[in-house]
Amino acid sequence: MSTLLLRYFCSQRSPRMTKQLLHTSSLVCAVEKELLARLRKQTGFSIGNCKKALEMHQNDIAKAEVWLQAEAQSKGWEKATKLSGRQTSQGLIGIHIEGKTAAMVEVNCETDFVARNDKFRQLVTQAAKECWKGNTLNEDVILAKESFSTEQVKTITTEDGKTLGDVLALAIGNIGENMGLPRATRVSAGHDISLVGYCHPSTIDQDANTGKFGAILAVKTSNSISEVAKQLCVHVIGMNPRAIGSLDDPKAENPEEESLLIHQEFLSDPTRTVAQVLDDEKMEVIDFIRFGSTAVNSSRVSTK
Amino acid sequence: MYNFIRLSRKIVSCIIHQTPGVSQDTALRKRQCYRAMVMMVRRCSQSATPDLPNCNVGTIGHVDHGKTTLTAAITRVLQKTGQSSFVSYDQIDKAPEEKKRGITINTAHISYSSTLRHYAHTDCPGHADYIKNMISGASQMDGAILVVAANDGQMPQTREHLLLTRQIGVKKLVVYINKADLVDEDVLELVELEVRELLDHFGFDEDSTPFITGSALLALQGDQSPYGEPSVLRLVAAMDDYLETPSRCLDSPFLLPIDNYFNVPGRGSVVTGTLVQGVVRKGDNAELLGYDKQLKAVASSLQVFKKNVSRVEAGENVGILLRGIRMEILERGMVLCAFGSQNLINRFEATMYLMTKAEGGRSRPITSAYIQQLFCQTWNVACRIDLSKGAKMMMPGDHETVEVTLLEKMVLLPSQSFTVRENNVTIATGIITKILPTISIPQKRFEKVDFDSL
Repeated sequence: MSTLLLRYFCSQRSPRMTKQLLHTSSLVCAVEKELLARLRKQTGFSIGNCKKALEMHQNDIAKAEVWLQAEAQSKGWEKATKLSGRQTSQGLIGIHIEGKTAAMVEVNCETDFVARNDKFRQLVTQAAKECWKGNTLNEDVILAKESFSTEQVKTITTEDGKTLGDVLALAIGNIGENMGLPRATRVSAGHDISLVGYCHPSTIDQDANTGKFGAILAVKTSNSISEVAKQLCVHVIGMNPRAIGSLDDPKAENPEEESLLIHQEFLSDPTRTVAQVLDDEKMEVIDFIRFGSTAVNSSRVSTK
Repeated sequence: MYNFIRLSRKIVSCIIHQTPGVSQDTALRKRQCYRAMVMMVRRCSQSATPDLPNCNVGTIGHVDHGKTTLTAAITRVLQKTGQSSFVSYDQIDKAPEEKKRGITINTAHISYSSTLRHYAHTDCPGHADYIKNMISGASQMDGAILVVAANDGQMPQTREHLLLTRQIGVKKLVVYINKADLVDEDVLELVELEVRELLDHFGFDEDSTPFITGSALLALQGDQSPYGEPSVLRLVAAMDDYLETPSRCLDSPFLLPIDNYFNVPGRGSVVTGTLVQGVVRKGDNAELLGYDKQLKAVASSLQVFKKNVSRVEAGENVGILLRGIRMEILERGMVLCAFGSQNLINRFEATMYLMTKAEGGRSRPITSAYIQQLFCQTWNVACRIDLSKGAKMMMPGDHETVEVTLLEKMVLLPSQSFTVRENNVTIATGIITKILPTISIPQKRFEKVDFDSL
């Protein structure tokens, strides 16, 4: 009863009245500020939800946290449904390479503020990793490429039995922006082929595994993967070749417009073409995949 | 303008006192009459409002926290006193893309005044838009309004919002806690506490930063409770009080970028241009700087619009006679400044935006050791651009911190903007953020310098 009364008074939007009531009513449902602050710091859920959790569990912070965690998933889906109509024109590409398998995913969001946030980066990293996990390695094939549509990406299951769709909904609930998983790809290489990946932009201290652009390169080389292979990845992102091409293919009249990889000037050393570089390094490019965040390729539309 | 308002107040009171039959509600009518007159004056001068100092502000915050509603509410509330004209939510939200210095920016510009200042208000959807705004020199933000919804509290991306304000040089901000009507007071206190903690983390003054609680939606609907319209007035008052406008730099040593020059036979050379800072007096010791040259000179006579004057202030277009200076050594783009006040510089750090193909820029990335022509004010000099250590390339559409080296030493100031052109096409725009130590370039050839060791 007292709960109802308090709710009623709270809804009257009279701060003074509410405060008085909070002090006079029994401690049954008055939420203590310190607890609220603590719960919010621990969980990072919105103030409104933290408060509700404490109210429901008579200020028992442990129970409230359990409830919040349990509730987060459905709250996330609720929010995700609510925001689903909004445009997601920003985002990041994430790459995960381990052993002979590489995975690359794109995750979209509404603003580039979110795209710069650590929590979002972690989400992209996780998505790439989960996508990588589903690999079925077959030593006999030279190169196996799989592409995933948005529906397929969302049904990829994670370690704890959720789907990537669930993980995304959780993030939407937490960050409060609509997000999307438009595409992913996975590449498995045979035994004499190596995979290299690069995300742009990267900084010196860490080769980022997330960025606005991403490229995976499958190369055949007798030596171990050299710096040049990395530079070739950067080249693929920067020069955006249409195909690998062979030396027999005709060159473009204007070198600036060359769209075949092997005829292009090498980005890190424009005095040589990619074909010359490959020759010098005794390397062969088997395939490449390049993702540019759709936000960068399509014309920009207001993010709201 | 203030004098004019004061004057009109006097006139109004004279009229009222001398009109028979107005005794009971004189005060009321006086007020009405006065307000009408103030509005008239304002309307006349609305295009410029020359006497009010200008302050550039912007709203930042999570997409659902009510930035745009707040902006619309400010214009609605201030419209009542004729200090603004109402701009609706949709007009701000659907503002078309703008092109400035060839860069496409998603931004809405709104203008309004308080009694003390004129505000140019920017509302952008993204981080990149604010950076482009800064680089293109469109509006250097003097202060920001951080909008946080009380029912959510700060979001993970609030950190990015504060980082941005630091990046674009904002030193002070005010916080508007929106949707305060949806929560009780304890929650408001908690939200404030959390945001203050975060402000401190990003180096803002956590104690003195003003917090205003209210509801932008209520204010927009004309609600008169404390969370409604009064909250917007409190916000504007806090902006007036707390945000700082860049001071007019009459106190700084004078600086005149030279636009033009000509010879006066037998006397010396006259240089012309607009004085950007400081005050020049006849007979002041000066220095000519630019293109590796450094010469002592004396401002022997000053002319403004063909009249001899003894003193010139910043903002004026002036011709200065330099006795004994031969015309052959002068060049457009040199600077005349107070003796010893400036140095010749050839290296600086900048934030640069590389234009996309759609904006008329390159289709391909640039890498370190990119050599082109740099244009700034009235001059251009060959430059070499290096990306920050470890960055492998810069894609069109990227904005990055770069190091720029000029082939010839010039006078450069932080926050000066520049463009880079390639085959007569602008491909990048930037703003100087930091002056770096000058290096020597043997034989004026970049390849003689070991850039890796810098």
